Amino acid sequence: MNIIEIKNLSHRFADSTLGLENINLTIREGTFVIIAGQNGSGKTTLLKHLNGLLLPTAGTIRLAGRTVSENLVKARQMVGMVFQDADSQIVGETVCDDVAFGPENLCVDRNEVKRRVSKSLKIVGMLDFKDQKPHLLSGGEKRRLAIAGILAMEPKVLVFDEPFSSLDYPGVKQILKQIVSLHRSGHTIFVAAHDLEKVIAHADRLVIMKEGKVVKDGIPSQLLGELETFGIREPCASRLGMEVPSWLN
Amino acid sequence: MAELSAFNFRPGSSVLHGLDVRFKLLFLVLISVTSLKAYPVSLSVLTLVLVAALLHAQRSLKSIFKAFRYLIVLLAFIFFARALSVPGSAVIEFKAVSITREGIYHGAMVCWRLVIVVLTGLAFVSTTRPSEIKAAVEWLLNPFPFIPSKRIATMMSLVVRFIPVIFDQARETADAQRARGVDNRKNPVYRLQKLGIPLMRRTFERADKLAVAMEARCYSENRTDPGLRAGLRDWTALFVVICLCMFIVV
Repeated sequence: MNIIEIKNLSHRFADSTLGLENINLTIREGTFVIIAGQNGSGKTTLLKHLNGLLLPTAGTIRLAGRTVSENLVKARQMVGMVFQDADSQIVGETVCDDVAFGPENLCVDRNEVKRRVSKSLKIVGMLDFKDQKPHLLSGGEKRRLAIAGILAMEPKVLVFDEPFSSLDYPGVKQILKQIVSLHRSGHTIFVAAHDLEKVIAHADRLVIMKEGKVVKDGIPSQLLGELETFGIREPCASRLGMEVPSWLN
Repeated sequence: MAELSAFNFRPGSSVLHGLDVRFKLLFLVLISVTSLKAYPVSLSVLTLVLVAALLHAQRSLKSIFKAFRYLIVLLAFIFFARALSVPGSAVIEFKAVSITREGIYHGAMVCWRLVIVVLTGLAFVSTTRPSEIKAAVEWLLNPFPFIPSKRIATMMSLVVRFIPVIFDQARETADAQRARGVDNRKNPVYRLQKLGIPLMRRTFERADKLAVAMEARCYSENRTDPGLRAGLRDWTALFVVICLCMFIVV
């Protein structure tokens, strides 16, 4: 089943610059997609259309058969987005309050909110931090908290915008492990990245963007050799003619 | 990391932790108001009760003293102002200035009462989650028409969440400017301007990102109501606090 269908999507910003131009994508449920491209290639703009944070100037986006603009709340519940700057995404005074924020907005029953908070914190391994203040967490913990906050809304699609930026090696591994485990549990995953080394081994599909257009779309292993043409660094192993290993091994 | 003060919620399982936040807010008001009428004996009892309650709530004596670090200056100022201004029999005289016995007594009483109010506040804040305080404010504002209680509660929670972040940013910006020799500029207006403008710009940028992130998580004022529930334990505690207040007043 196709969970996302994007047809002729274009977006023009208020200052009349073209952010996206004629994007056509169809994503099957449970796919792990990487959106790659240089800074300013339109990755974040595209991702923000998936849950209606930006609306198309032209074209349509369908989530499980329904257009996003038809029901924005449903779209945002269905597509959870983890932003690049986790600090700006965290709104609660404690870890527990932050995770509860999403389900409370969906008017979920109080006992159900508690259940979802515990479940989400357990998934990201942060149950022991529930009374901690978010600003005292490390970079990796903050990003895991942001993931928990999204999981509590029980989305089908998870969108990660540059999830590894400004994380140390253990932090990258923690987040990658989380993303892979969420993919295995049946979620459709979108990862926007310009450095593919850390995540490419786990992806099913690679979409390369340039100047607001999709310039390549296919199986990652078949596109690795062309990456540098589009200003994206080719993983070391691929340069040496080897298969790119997972960072989790 | 910017830790505001010792006035923070500490998780625990004490009786105070388990009480309904609305009752605790009422106790805070009752004890603070009646302490203004208290004298040495009742103040001693109140101090003992509050310190015992704080220890029971897993606050160490050290952390209680820490809470008074900055207050000591204010207390000392109040004490000396009283000691010097209240007329009576002089204990120390120097030229036209005299410290009176009555002044010392009144000064000590005012300071002691203030300490009681702060201890009560500390007991309240230490045992109440910020989200519960937010819920209580929302509940208190609910009966008033034209006051957007849910919006005010959300704004309160965002302020509590972001003050430490803004402090962190201010320190980071100040460090970056010190690294570029801002200390050599003696003009305080210039330095304030160079710190204030980037800090405000970053704060507004963060506010923009926050608004988008809240939208992505379906922010709405029509949200799940906070779970406030009063039980027998809360009513029993109210009875005990009223008895204590009556003892203080009588």
